[in-house]
Amino acid sequence: MSKFIIQVNGPAYGSSASVNALRFTQASLRSGHDVVCVFFYQDGVYNSTDFNLPASDEYDVVMGWKQLAALHQVSLVNCVSAALRRGIVSQQEALENGLSHWNVQSSFIMGGLGELVTGIESADRLICF
Amino acid sequence: MKKICILFRSAPHGTTKGREALDLALLSASFEQEVSVVFIDEGVLHLLKDQQPELIGGKDYLATLKALPLYDIETVFACKQSLGDYGLSHGLLSIPVTILNDEAISAHLKLVDEVLVF
Repeated sequence: MSKFIIQVNGPAYGSSASVNALRFTQASLRSGHDVVCVFFYQDGVYNSTDFNLPASDEYDVVMGWKQLAALHQVSLVNCVSAALRRGIVSQQEALENGLSHWNVQSSFIMGGLGELVTGIESADRLICF
Repeated sequence: MKKICILFRSAPHGTTKGREALDLALLSASFEQEVSVVFIDEGVLHLLKDQQPELIGGKDYLATLKALPLYDIETVFACKQSLGDYGLSHGLLSIPVTILNDEAISAHLKLVDEVLVF
């Protein structure tokens, strides 16, 4: 059994990166592997917004990530600096910056690149999408 | 400690890939990882000196390339073929790099633990 860390660099819509990453993560967990965390960097942070509203007959990858996190207790970690530059804001950053809205709820944690690096250090293999 | 290789494959300024690659390279080094950096394909355009990204609304993150030695990132490779493709001779480069052919880069990638492509 292996210990993976997953990095997602593509957005929820407009690229297949996120769906591929989600399916890989699901398959890893189903096969008994460990997933240290899923780290969202670059445009990957767009996966954490609650304001994605895909049409009712379309697959909702954001919901997929939330369900995976709830089911398997896998942490979904955003790079906070990548997120803030892209308008991806949690309640805490909204309060700190005087914003009246935010779009990231508790399924996604805001973290730093340090969490990616320490994750890489503790995992057997990093898989990037 | 792991051997982490950050591979720059995209041109600067048109996307933020290069900037976020450099952020990760420096941060990994500050977390005591053994970091190497490789410039290949359009990524070699990061090395062209005297760029002024502020003129097109960008940030001059290329200036930070000069900080690589301060972070103990001493392994900086550029692809010989790609430099030739973009007409980048030694005198046009902003920082000292070791110029390698495809085989040598490939051999380096086999030596490291993880390769992150930007």
